[in-house]
Amino acid sequence: MNRDEAKKILQRYRPGTTDATDPLVAEALALAAQDAELSRWLAEAIARQEALRAKFRQIAPPAGLKEQIISEHAAAVRMKSRRHSLAFAVAGVLLLLACAGLFGWWQATPPASDLAIYRGRMVRAALTGYAMDLTTNSEAPLRTYLAQRQAPADYVLPAGLQHATVTGCAVEKWQGANVTLICFRTGKPLPAGESSDLWLFVVDRSKLKDAPAPGAPALANVNRLITATWAAGNKVYLLCVAGDAATLRAYL
Amino acid sequence: MADNAEFENLVARFYAPLYQFAMSLAGTEADACDLTQQTFAIWATKGHQLRDASKVKTWLFTILHREFLDSRRRQTRFPHCDLESAEFELPSISPAAISRLDTAHVLAALQKVDEVYQAPVALFYLQDCSYQEIADILKVPLGTVKSRLARGLGQLQQLLARDLTAGQNPPLNL
Repeated sequence: MNRDEAKKILQRYRPGTTDATDPLVAEALALAAQDAELSRWLAEAIARQEALRAKFRQIAPPAGLKEQIISEHAAAVRMKSRRHSLAFAVAGVLLLLACAGLFGWWQATPPASDLAIYRGRMVRAALTGYAMDLTTNSEAPLRTYLAQRQAPADYVLPAGLQHATVTGCAVEKWQGANVTLICFRTGKPLPAGESSDLWLFVVDRSKLKDAPAPGAPALANVNRLITATWAAGNKVYLLCVAGDAATLRAYL
Repeated sequence: MADNAEFENLVARFYAPLYQFAMSLAGTEADACDLTQQTFAIWATKGHQLRDASKVKTWLFTILHREFLDSRRRQTRFPHCDLESAEFELPSISPAAISRLDTAHVLAALQKVDEVYQAPVALFYLQDCSYQEIADILKVPLGTVKSRLARGLGQLQQLLARDLTAGQNPPLNL
Protein backbone atom coordinates (compact mmCIF):
# COMPACT_ATOMS: atom_id res chain seq x y z
CA MET A 1 0.00 0.00 0.00
CA ASN A 2 1.44 3.37 -0.97
CA ARG A 3 0.64 6.80 0.41
CA ASP A 4 -2.06 7.64 -2.15
CA GLU A 5 -3.81 4.36 -1.59
CA ALA A 6 -3.67 4.95 2.15
CA LYS A 7 -5.22 8.42 1.76
CA LYS A 8 -8.03 7.00 -0.30
CA ILE A 9 -8.80 4.51 2.47
CA LEU A 10 -8.30 6.88 5.37
CA GLN A 11 -10.69 9.48 4.07
CA ARG A 12 -13.48 7.28 5.42
CA TYR A 13 -11.78 6.72 8.75
CA ARG A 14 -13.48 7.97 11.93
CA PRO A 15 -11.49 7.79 15.14
CA GLY A 16 -13.33 6.26 18.06
CA THR A 17 -15.47 4.01 15.91
CA THR A 18 -15.05 0.47 14.68
CA ASP A 19 -13.53 1.76 11.43
CA ALA A 20 -10.05 0.82 12.62
CA THR A 21 -11.04 -2.83 12.69
CA ASP A 22 -11.33 -2.77 8.93
CA PRO A 23 -8.12 -4.50 7.74
CA LEU A 24 -7.44 -1.92 5.02
CA VAL A 25 -7.98 0.99 7.41
CA ALA A 26 -5.72 -0.70 9.97
CA GLU A 27 -3.03 -1.13 7.35
CA ALA A 28 -3.36 2.48 6.23
CA LEU A 29 -3.19 3.70 9.82
CA ALA A 30 -0.06 1.66 10.36
CA LEU A 31 1.46 3.28 7.30
CA ALA A 32 0.47 6.75 8.55
CA ALA A 33 2.21 6.02 11.83
CA GLN A 34 5.47 5.62 9.92
CA ASP A 35 4.94 8.38 7.35
CA ALA A 36 5.09 11.91 8.69
CA GLU A 37 3.48 13.53 5.65
CA LEU A 38 0.67 10.98 5.61
CA SER A 39 0.26 11.48 9.32
CA ARG A 40 -0.15 15.24 8.88
CA TRP A 41 -2.62 14.68 6.05
CA LEU A 42 -4.59 12.26 8.23
CA ALA A 43 -4.75 14.71 11.12
CA GLU A 44 -6.20 17.38 8.85
CA ALA A 45 -8.60 14.94 7.21
CA ILE A 46 -9.86 13.87 10.60
CA ALA A 47 -10.35 17.47 11.68
CA ARG A 48 -12.21 18.18 8.44
CA GLN A 49 -14.46 15.16 8.96
CA GLU A 50 -15.11 16.20 12.55
CA ALA A 51 -16.09 19.67 11.39
CA LEU A 52 -18.47 18.21 8.83
CA ARG A 53 -19.86 15.76 11.32
CA ALA A 54 -20.59 18.62 13.70
CA LYS A 55 -22.53 20.36 10.96
CA PHE A 56 -24.68 17.32 10.31
CA ARG A 57 -25.32 16.87 14.00
CA GLN A 58 -26.58 20.39 14.30
CA ILE A 59 -29.68 19.34 12.41
CA ALA A 60 -32.42 19.64 14.98
CA PRO A 61 -35.93 18.30 14.61
CA PRO A 62 -38.58 21.00 14.61
CA ALA A 63 -40.32 21.55 17.91
CA GLY A 64 -43.36 19.37 18.36
CA LEU A 65 -42.36 16.68 15.87
CA LYS A 66 -42.17 13.99 18.53
CA GLU A 67 -45.54 14.97 19.98
CA GLN A 68 -47.07 15.08 16.51
CA ILE A 69 -45.84 11.56 15.72
CA ILE A 70 -47.22 10.24 18.98
CA SER A 71 -50.54 12.00 18.67
CA GLU A 72 -51.01 10.82 15.09
CA HIS A 73 -50.27 7.29 16.21
CA ALA A 74 -52.81 7.60 19.01
CA ALA A 75 -55.36 8.93 16.54
CA ALA A 76 -54.65 6.04 14.19
CA VAL A 77 -55.10 3.57 17.05
CA ARG A 78 -58.42 5.20 18.01
CA MET A 79 -59.55 5.16 14.40
CA LYS A 80 -58.61 1.51 14.07
CA SER A 81 -60.39 0.73 17.31
CA ARG A 82 -63.49 2.54 16.07
CA ARG A 83 -63.28 0.67 12.78
CA HIS A 84 -63.03 -2.60 14.70
CA SER A 85 -66.00 -1.66 16.86
CA LEU A 86 -67.97 -0.68 13.80
CA ALA A 87 -67.01 -3.89 12.06
CA PHE A 88 -68.08 -5.90 15.09
CA ALA A 89 -71.34 -3.99 15.26
CA VAL A 90 -72.03 -4.53 11.56
CA ALA A 91 -71.12 -8.19 11.89
CA GLY A 92 -73.46 -8.47 14.88
CA VAL A 93 -76.31 -6.82 13.01
CA LEU A 94 -75.73 -9.06 10.00
CA LEU A 95 -75.69 -12.10 12.25
CA LEU A 96 -78.93 -11.04 13.88
CA LEU A 97 -80.51 -10.43 10.49
CA ALA A 98 -79.32 -13.82 9.29
CA CYS A 99 -80.72 -15.48 12.41
CA ALA A 100 -83.99 -13.62 12.02
CA GLY A 101 -84.14 -14.65 8.37
CA LEU A 102 -83.45 -18.25 9.23
CA PHE A 103 -86.03 -18.18 11.99
CA GLY A 104 -88.58 -16.64 9.65
CA TRP A 105 -87.81 -19.21 7.00
CA TRP A 106 -88.07 -21.96 9.57
CA GLN A 107 -91.36 -20.55 10.79
CA ALA A 108 -92.68 -20.14 7.26
CA THR A 109 -91.69 -23.61 6.18
CA PRO A 110 -94.31 -26.13 7.18
CA PRO A 111 -92.80 -28.97 9.17
CA ALA A 112 -92.78 -32.29 7.46
CA SER A 113 -95.99 -34.08 8.29
CA ASP A 114 -95.55 -36.89 10.78
CA LEU A 115 -98.38 -38.73 9.12
CA ALA A 116 -96.89 -38.31 5.66
CA ILE A 117 -93.54 -39.62 6.84
CA TYR A 118 -95.24 -42.53 8.55
CA ARG A 119 -97.21 -43.30 5.42
CA GLY A 120 -94.11 -43.19 3.24
CA ARG A 121 -92.15 -45.44 5.60
CA MET A 122 -94.92 -48.01 5.79
CA VAL A 123 -95.41 -48.06 2.02
CA ARG A 124 -91.70 -48.70 1.59
CA ALA A 125 -91.95 -51.51 4.13
CA ALA A 126 -94.89 -53.01 2.26
CA LEU A 127 -93.09 -52.90 -1.05
CA THR A 128 -89.62 -53.94 -0.03
CA GLY A 129 -88.86 -54.21 3.61
CA TYR A 130 -90.92 -56.55 5.72
CA ALA A 131 -90.67 -60.18 6.65
CA MET A 132 -93.80 -61.97 7.66
CA ASP A 133 -93.56 -62.84 11.35
CA LEU A 134 -96.56 -65.11 11.28
CA THR A 135 -98.02 -66.78 8.21
CA THR A 136 -101.63 -67.76 8.59
CA ASN A 137 -104.94 -67.44 6.83
CA SER A 138 -106.79 -67.11 10.09
CA GLU A 139 -107.23 -63.81 11.83
CA ALA A 140 -107.47 -65.08 15.41
CA PRO A 141 -103.87 -66.22 15.70
CA LEU A 142 -102.84 -62.87 14.31
CA ARG A 143 -104.44 -60.97 17.14
CA THR A 144 -102.94 -63.33 19.69
CA TYR A 145 -99.51 -62.98 18.20
CA LEU A 146 -99.76 -59.22 17.89
CA ALA A 147 -100.98 -58.88 21.44
CA GLN A 148 -98.03 -60.92 22.64
CA ARG A 149 -95.74 -58.63 20.72
CA GLN A 150 -97.47 -55.60 22.23
CA ALA A 151 -98.53 -54.41 18.80
CA PRO A 152 -102.06 -53.08 18.24
CA ALA A 153 -104.26 -56.15 18.22
CA ASP A 154 -107.67 -54.69 18.93
CA TYR A 155 -108.00 -53.19 15.50
CA VAL A 156 -111.28 -53.05 13.61
CA LEU A 157 -111.23 -54.10 9.99
CA PRO A 158 -113.33 -52.12 7.59
CA ALA A 159 -116.18 -53.99 6.01
CA GLY A 160 -114.53 -54.43 2.61
CA LEU A 161 -111.37 -55.83 4.09
CA GLN A 162 -113.14 -58.48 6.10
CA HIS A 163 -113.68 -60.39 2.88
CA ALA A 164 -110.07 -60.30 1.84
CA THR A 165 -107.83 -63.28 2.48
CA VAL A 166 -105.40 -62.85 5.34
CA THR A 167 -101.91 -64.19 4.68
CA GLY A 168 -100.05 -63.26 7.85
CA CYS A 169 -98.72 -60.44 9.93
CA ALA A 170 -95.59 -58.64 11.01
CA VAL A 171 -94.65 -56.01 13.53
CA GLU A 172 -92.97 -52.86 12.23
CA LYS A 173 -91.47 -50.00 14.18
CA TRP A 174 -92.40 -46.32 14.12
CA GLN A 175 -90.44 -44.03 16.39
CA GLY A 176 -90.07 -46.77 18.97
CA ALA A 177 -93.69 -47.86 18.83
CA ASN A 178 -94.92 -51.14 17.45
CA VAL A 179 -97.00 -51.00 14.30
CA THR A 180 -99.19 -53.85 13.28
CA LEU A 181 -98.91 -55.01 9.69
CA ILE A 182 -101.60 -57.37 8.45
CA CYS A 183 -101.06 -58.84 5.01
CA PHE A 184 -103.86 -59.82 2.61
CA ARG A 185 -104.33 -61.13 -0.85
CA THR A 186 -106.61 -59.40 -3.36
CA GLY A 187 -106.90 -62.53 -5.42
CA LYS A 188 -105.02 -61.08 -8.35
CA PRO A 189 -101.99 -62.97 -9.60
CA LEU A 190 -99.00 -62.25 -7.42
CA PRO A 191 -95.45 -61.64 -8.58
CA ALA A 192 -93.13 -64.55 -8.05
CA GLY A 193 -92.07 -64.89 -4.42
CA GLU A 194 -94.81 -62.60 -3.12
CA SER A 195 -97.59 -63.77 -0.88
CA SER A 196 -99.50 -60.53 -0.35
CA ASP A 197 -100.64 -57.52 -2.33
CA LEU A 198 -102.81 -55.71 0.19
CA TRP A 199 -101.53 -54.37 3.50
CA LEU A 200 -103.06 -52.80 6.51
CA PHE A 201 -100.97 -50.93 9.07
CA VAL A 202 -102.35 -50.07 12.46
CA VAL A 203 -100.71 -47.79 14.98
CA ASP A 204 -101.88 -46.08 18.15
CA ARG A 205 -103.07 -42.57 17.45
CA SER A 206 -100.91 -41.25 20.23
CA LYS A 207 -97.82 -42.23 18.24
CA LEU A 208 -98.56 -39.78 15.42
CA LYS A 209 -98.27 -36.08 16.23
CA ASP A 210 -100.64 -35.11 13.43
CA ALA A 211 -102.91 -38.10 13.48
CA PRO A 212 -106.08 -37.47 11.49
CA ALA A 213 -109.34 -36.91 13.26
CA PRO A 214 -111.78 -39.75 13.04
CA GLY A 215 -113.61 -39.57 9.78
CA ALA A 216 -113.66 -40.73 6.21
CA PRO A 217 -110.45 -42.26 4.80
CA ALA A 218 -108.14 -39.92 2.92
CA LEU A 219 -106.69 -41.36 -0.25
CA ALA A 220 -103.20 -40.62 -1.47
CA ASN A 221 -100.83 -42.13 -3.99
CA VAL A 222 -97.54 -43.02 -2.39
CA ASN A 223 -94.83 -44.60 -4.43
CA ARG A 224 -96.63 -47.11 -6.66
CA LEU A 225 -99.39 -47.84 -4.20
CA ILE A 226 -102.60 -46.08 -3.42
CA THR A 227 -103.27 -45.56 0.24
CA ALA A 228 -106.21 -44.78 2.46
CA THR A 229 -105.65 -43.31 5.88
CA TRP A 230 -108.24 -42.92 8.58
CA ALA A 231 -108.58 -42.87 12.30
CA ALA A 232 -111.03 -44.82 14.35
CA GLY A 233 -111.07 -45.17 18.10
CA ASN A 234 -107.54 -44.78 19.33
CA LYS A 235 -106.01 -46.23 16.20
CA VAL A 236 -104.80 -44.89 12.88
CA TYR A 237 -105.23 -47.20 9.92
CA LEU A 238 -103.31 -47.21 6.70
CA LEU A 239 -104.42 -49.46 3.87
CA CYS A 240 -102.22 -49.87 0.83
CA VAL A 241 -102.75 -51.64 -2.44
CA ALA A 242 -101.48 -51.50 -5.96
CA GLY A 243 -104.09 -50.10 -8.30
CA ASP A 244 -106.45 -47.19 -8.43
CA ALA A 245 -108.86 -45.54 -6.02
CA ALA A 246 -111.68 -47.86 -7.02
CA THR A 247 -109.56 -50.87 -6.20
CA LEU A 248 -108.82 -49.43 -2.80
CA ARG A 249 -112.35 -48.35 -2.01
CA ALA A 250 -113.46 -51.96 -2.49
CA TYR A 251 -111.65 -52.77 0.74
CA LEU A 252 -112.89 -49.91 2.86
CA MET B 1 -50.56 -1.48 16.25
CA ALA B 2 -47.70 -1.27 18.67
CA ASP B 3 -48.41 -0.77 22.34
CA ASN B 4 -48.68 2.96 23.08
CA ALA B 5 -46.01 3.14 25.78
CA GLU B 6 -43.62 1.06 23.73
CA PHE B 7 -44.30 3.25 20.72
CA GLU B 8 -43.65 6.45 22.65
CA ASN B 9 -40.35 5.10 23.95
CA LEU B 10 -39.33 4.18 20.45
CA VAL B 11 -40.19 7.63 19.14
CA ALA B 12 -38.27 9.29 21.96
CA ARG B 13 -35.18 7.23 21.15
CA PHE B 14 -35.14 7.51 17.40
CA TYR B 15 -37.13 10.46 16.13
CA ALA B 16 -34.21 12.89 16.26
CA PRO B 17 -31.62 10.72 14.47
CA LEU B 18 -34.23 9.67 11.95
CA TYR B 19 -35.15 13.26 11.32
CA GLN B 20 -31.47 14.14 10.86
CA PHE B 21 -31.09 11.35 8.34
CA ALA B 22 -34.29 12.39 6.58
CA MET B 23 -33.15 16.00 6.48
CA SER B 24 -29.81 14.95 5.03
CA LEU B 25 -31.57 13.04 2.29
CA ALA B 26 -34.55 15.22 1.50
CA GLY B 27 -33.10 18.63 2.25
CA THR B 28 -36.33 20.26 3.39
CA GLU B 29 -37.93 20.30 6.79
CA ALA B 30 -41.35 19.42 5.46
CA ASP B 31 -40.11 16.38 3.57
CA ALA B 32 -37.94 15.31 6.49
CA CYS B 33 -40.91 15.51 8.87
CA ASP B 34 -43.05 13.53 6.45
CA LEU B 35 -40.41 10.85 6.09
CA THR B 36 -39.91 10.60 9.84
CA GLN B 37 -43.64 10.34 10.52
CA GLN B 38 -44.14 7.87 7.72
CA THR B 39 -41.36 5.70 9.12
CA PHE B 40 -43.03 5.50 12.51
CA ALA B 41 -46.42 4.91 10.91
CA ILE B 42 -44.95 1.92 9.10
CA TRP B 43 -43.40 0.75 12.35
CA ALA B 44 -46.79 0.94 14.04
CA THR B 45 -48.33 -1.43 11.53
CA LYS B 46 -45.40 -3.68 10.59
CA GLY B 47 -42.93 -3.36 13.45
CA HIS B 48 -44.30 -6.48 15.12
CA GLN B 49 -42.85 -8.48 12.23
CA LEU B 50 -39.34 -7.64 13.45
CA ARG B 51 -38.24 -10.56 15.61
CA ASP B 52 -34.81 -9.27 16.65
CA ALA B 53 -35.27 -6.23 18.88
CA SER B 54 -31.61 -5.29 18.45
CA LYS B 55 -32.32 -4.54 14.78
CA VAL B 56 -34.85 -1.82 15.47
CA LYS B 57 -32.48 1.01 14.60
CA THR B 58 -31.39 -0.65 11.36
CA TRP B 59 -35.02 -1.44 10.52
CA LEU B 60 -36.15 2.16 11.05
CA PHE B 61 -33.34 3.66 9.02
CA THR B 62 -33.91 1.13 6.26
CA ILE B 63 -37.59 2.01 6.12
CA LEU B 64 -36.89 5.72 6.07
CA HIS B 65 -34.37 5.31 3.26
CA ARG B 66 -36.79 3.18 1.27
CA GLU B 67 -39.53 5.73 1.74
CA PHE B 68 -37.18 8.45 0.62
CA LEU B 69 -36.28 6.53 -2.54
CA ASP B 70 -39.96 5.90 -3.24
CA SER B 71 -40.81 9.55 -2.81
CA ARG B 72 -37.88 10.55 -4.96
CA ARG B 73 -39.07 8.30 -7.75
CA ARG B 74 -42.32 10.24 -7.69
CA GLN B 75 -40.54 13.56 -7.89
CA THR B 76 -37.85 14.86 -10.19
CA ARG B 77 -37.30 18.22 -8.69
CA PHE B 78 -34.03 17.44 -7.00
CA PRO B 79 -31.06 19.28 -8.44
CA HIS B 80 -28.11 17.40 -9.72
CA CYS B 81 -24.63 18.59 -10.23
CA ASP B 82 -22.19 17.13 -12.69
CA LEU B 83 -18.96 16.40 -10.99
CA GLU B 84 -15.85 14.90 -12.26
CA SER B 85 -15.15 11.54 -10.84
CA ALA B 86 -14.19 11.85 -7.19
CA GLU B 87 -10.53 11.72 -6.65
CA PHE B 88 -8.77 10.51 -3.62
CA GLU B 89 -6.80 13.73 -3.55
CA LEU B 90 -9.37 15.72 -1.71
CA PRO B 91 -9.57 19.48 -2.15
CA SER B 92 -7.86 21.28 0.60
CA ILE B 93 -10.56 22.81 2.71
CA SER B 94 -9.46 23.73 6.13
CA PRO B 95 -11.50 22.45 9.05
CA ALA B 96 -11.88 26.06 10.13
CA ALA B 97 -13.47 26.97 6.79
CA ILE B 98 -15.94 24.14 7.20
CA SER B 99 -16.74 25.28 10.70
CA ARG B 100 -17.70 28.68 9.34
CA LEU B 101 -20.28 27.14 7.01
CA ASP B 102 -23.78 26.78 8.28
CA THR B 103 -25.55 23.45 8.33
CA ALA B 104 -27.90 24.50 5.56
CA HIS B 105 -24.95 25.05 3.27
CA VAL B 106 -23.55 21.61 4.00
CA LEU B 107 -26.93 19.96 3.43
CA ALA B 108 -27.38 21.85 0.19
CA ALA B 109 -24.04 20.51 -0.95
CA LEU B 110 -25.08 16.98 0.00
CA GLN B 111 -28.19 17.37 -2.14
CA LYS B 112 -25.90 17.89 -5.12
CA VAL B 113 -23.89 14.76 -4.48
CA ASP B 114 -24.87 11.83 -6.69
CA GLU B 115 -28.01 10.36 -5.22
CA VAL B 116 -26.51 6.95 -4.64
CA TYR B 117 -23.85 8.42 -2.37
CA GLN B 118 -26.09 10.66 -0.27
CA ALA B 119 -27.43 8.09 2.16
CA PRO B 120 -24.09 6.46 2.97
CA VAL B 121 -22.52 9.87 3.57
CA ALA B 122 -25.37 11.00 5.81
CA LEU B 123 -25.20 7.81 7.86
CA PHE B 124 -21.42 8.11 8.01
CA TYR B 125 -21.57 11.56 9.57
CA LEU B 126 -24.74 11.30 11.60
CA GLN B 127 -24.90 7.99 13.26
CA ASP B 128 -21.40 6.67 13.61
CA CYS B 129 -22.85 3.61 11.90
CA SER B 130 -20.27 0.97 11.19
CA TYR B 131 -19.69 0.14 7.56
CA GLN B 132 -21.61 -3.08 8.11
CA GLU B 133 -24.58 -1.21 9.65
CA ILE B 134 -24.66 1.14 6.70
CA ALA B 135 -24.61 -1.88 4.41
CA ASP B 136 -27.50 -3.42 6.36
CA ILE B 137 -29.56 -0.24 6.26
CA LEU B 138 -29.01 0.39 2.57
CA LYS B 139 -29.18 -3.30 1.66
CA VAL B 140 -25.97 -3.20 -0.33
CA PRO B 141 -22.75 -5.21 0.03
CA LEU B 142 -20.06 -4.02 2.41
CA GLY B 143 -17.60 -3.34 -0.41
CA THR B 144 -20.18 -1.18 -2.14
CA VAL B 145 -20.59 0.88 1.02
CA LYS B 146 -16.86 1.53 1.20
CA SER B 147 -16.58 2.59 -2.41
CA ARG B 148 -19.70 4.75 -2.20
CA LEU B 149 -18.40 6.41 0.94
CA ALA B 150 -15.09 7.17 -0.71
CA ARG B 151 -16.77 8.72 -3.72
CA GLY B 152 -19.54 10.45 -1.77
CA LEU B 153 -17.21 12.03 0.75
CA GLY B 154 -14.98 13.16 -2.10
CA GLN B 155 -17.88 14.70 -4.01
CA LEU B 156 -19.19 16.50 -0.94
CA GLN B 157 -15.84 18.06 -0.17
CA GLN B 158 -15.34 19.01 -3.82
CA LEU B 159 -18.66 20.82 -3.80
CA LEU B 160 -17.94 22.58 -0.55
CA ALA B 161 -14.52 23.62 -1.83
CA ARG B 162 -16.08 24.94 -5.03
CA ASP B 163 -18.64 26.95 -3.07
CA LEU B 164 -16.04 28.31 -0.70
CA THR B 165 -13.83 29.31 -3.60
CA ALA B 166 -16.74 31.03 -5.40
CA GLY B 167 -18.03 32.57 -2.17
CA GLN B 168 -21.44 31.01 -2.75
CA ASN B 169 -23.94 30.41 -0.04
CA PRO B 170 -26.58 28.20 -1.63
CA PRO B 171 -30.07 28.65 -0.31
CA LEU B 172 -31.76 25.76 1.39
CA ASN B 173 -35.23 25.59 2.68
CA LEU B 174 -34.65 24.83 6.32
